[in-house]
Amino acid sequence: MSKVIQLNEITKHYQMGDQTFKALDGINVDIDENEYVAIIGPSGSGKSTLMNIIGCLDTPTSGEYHLKDKLVEKMSETELAQQRNKSVGFIFQSFNLLPRASALENVMQPLVYRFIPQSERQKQALESLKRVGLEDKIHHLSNQLSGGQRQRVAIARALVTKPHILLGDEPTGNLDSKTTQDIMKLFDELHEEGHTIILVTHEQEIADHCHRVIRLVDGKVVADTRKKTEERLHV
Amino acid sequence: MFKSAIAIIEGVKAALQAIRANAMRSALTCLGIIIGVASVVTVVAVMQGFTKQINEQLSDLSPDVTSIKPYVALEDQMVGKQSKLSYDDFLYLKNKIKQIDVMTANMLSFNFANGAQYQNYIHSAQVIGTDSDYQKLYKTFPEKGRYLRESDDEKRRRVALVGETVIEKLHLPENPVGEYIKLAGKWFHIIGVGETQDSFLGFDQNNYIYIPISTMSTLDGGDRGIITIRYRLKVGADEEIVKRQITKILRQRHKISSGQPDDFQFETAKKAKERTKELTTSITGVTAGIVGISLIVGGIGVMNIMLVSVSERTRVIGTLKALGATPGFIMLQFLVEAVVLSLFGGMIGLAIGYGLSELISLMIPNLSDTHIPTWAVLLSFGFTSAIGIIFGLAPAIKAARLNPIDALRYE
Repeated sequence: MSKVIQLNEITKHYQMGDQTFKALDGINVDIDENEYVAIIGPSGSGKSTLMNIIGCLDTPTSGEYHLKDKLVEKMSETELAQQRNKSVGFIFQSFNLLPRASALENVMQPLVYRFIPQSERQKQALESLKRVGLEDKIHHLSNQLSGGQRQRVAIARALVTKPHILLGDEPTGNLDSKTTQDIMKLFDELHEEGHTIILVTHEQEIADHCHRVIRLVDGKVVADTRKKTEERLHV
Repeated sequence: MFKSAIAIIEGVKAALQAIRANAMRSALTCLGIIIGVASVVTVVAVMQGFTKQINEQLSDLSPDVTSIKPYVALEDQMVGKQSKLSYDDFLYLKNKIKQIDVMTANMLSFNFANGAQYQNYIHSAQVIGTDSDYQKLYKTFPEKGRYLRESDDEKRRRVALVGETVIEKLHLPENPVGEYIKLAGKWFHIIGVGETQDSFLGFDQNNYIYIPISTMSTLDGGDRGIITIRYRLKVGADEEIVKRQITKILRQRHKISSGQPDDFQFETAKKAKERTKELTTSITGVTAGIVGISLIVGGIGVMNIMLVSVSERTRVIGTLKALGATPGFIMLQFLVEAVVLSLFGGMIGLAIGYGLSELISLMIPNLSDTHIPTWAVLLSFGFTSAIGIIFGLAPAIKAARLNPIDALRYE
């Protein structure tokens, strides 16, 4: 199986006055295609920083990060943006849908940055919304949708560019437990379909769905466990 | 190219959405630009109307008539130098120059400045001394009675031809021929009523009394009157040769030593037209420039609201960046939004300016139709776009430079 993510001695340091804060302190992680990974850890452990680096929102202070075959290092803002558009599908805790835009327009948005013609954008966005079961809500504005529906739109938006990885930041943090189950079921299905999924979370029940759990403490990986097939949770 | 087009379309969409969502705020933001464009357009339109009217009136002026007027350069005027053409200059030229078909003169005298009296009515009219050739030169005809005759001039008769306004103001009978009015302390016999003319730029053109120039010259006392000589050449006569002849005679009569400038000048309708054109163009330019300053104030309003807009939409910008929007794309989008906002103001301003100029043309009688030239429309759109770009630049750069991580976290 080919590697999607290779993190090699990744560090991220922040200068705070005289002190250097080591948000990440030598991370070595490889993630293969079609893995289903949870990154967990207490707050301040560096999981958000790690997610930002994986998601090409940030670059490491030192170390090498290969996303697919591309070395994400000292890229310019523009190159990082292009990389995000091409390789990463973001799913945020608070959905981050565009206000005053319909579900369809939201899902079409990432394709704008690929300079795809309008009709083609619409076609691909429709397919993606169909995949998350919202084909009857495409013209609803985000404030006309429930929390679960909003997150489905966000997932459709992440899927529409066919990225190498789906990157979720506490994707169910704002949802009730019933909706959480629905959304996690959707992630499970997407994984079955071959997507590579990385979820940053502090909820154990989310981590339970994943097949591999990476635990961070103080910017270091303290545990990296792959579940055997029989240990995996099936909903 | 194609990529920029998509960014521009996205910018226009976002801008229209933002304008719709904050209609009131957008309208207030645009107020500066609306007022600026409306004033520029109104000023230009009204000035165009004036110019058009002046040109129409000037084209009525006989193109073949040349005037000779006293002339002293401004710097010489300031040291008290004066010049004038005398009644004798006029008579001399009239007899001497053979190439001339008709020559007449207009004289204004301070002794006649007190106006005219009829019964108990006193009215200040423009009293002009001229001769019978005035009628030949301008081919004008009396409404009633007769025009000044050669014999009136020869015999220095106290006769007067009056305009419509004078009849009205002095409460003269409808047909005043035969009545007497008092001018400069003397009684004048009304012999006719002159042709009624349209008012020019709101100025009454019928408030005149024509009397024989010889009569005026006699009553002027000391040759203080201001004389303008007008003539038309005979067919086939050489304009330049005649001008040279007149110049030579006048310089001799005025005892101007060689090397000194003429103390008179020639003027034709064509020259007058050129001068008015220069004048109206510069007035238009200056006023448009002054009101254009309000456009800059408007631009600052746009910049202000765009900065607010960028702050408000920090999270959205963060999201767009996470979805793959490059800094260049974000910058272009916000620039387009600022331009759309300015253009929106520009269009409203254009409409208001159009309405205002229509209103002004209704209020000023006889003002030719005001009209907004295409260049003014294009210029105001060009200028408002430029304002949008210039004042949208700072907010757009701010948006483009936002750190996506901080922007996503922004509450």
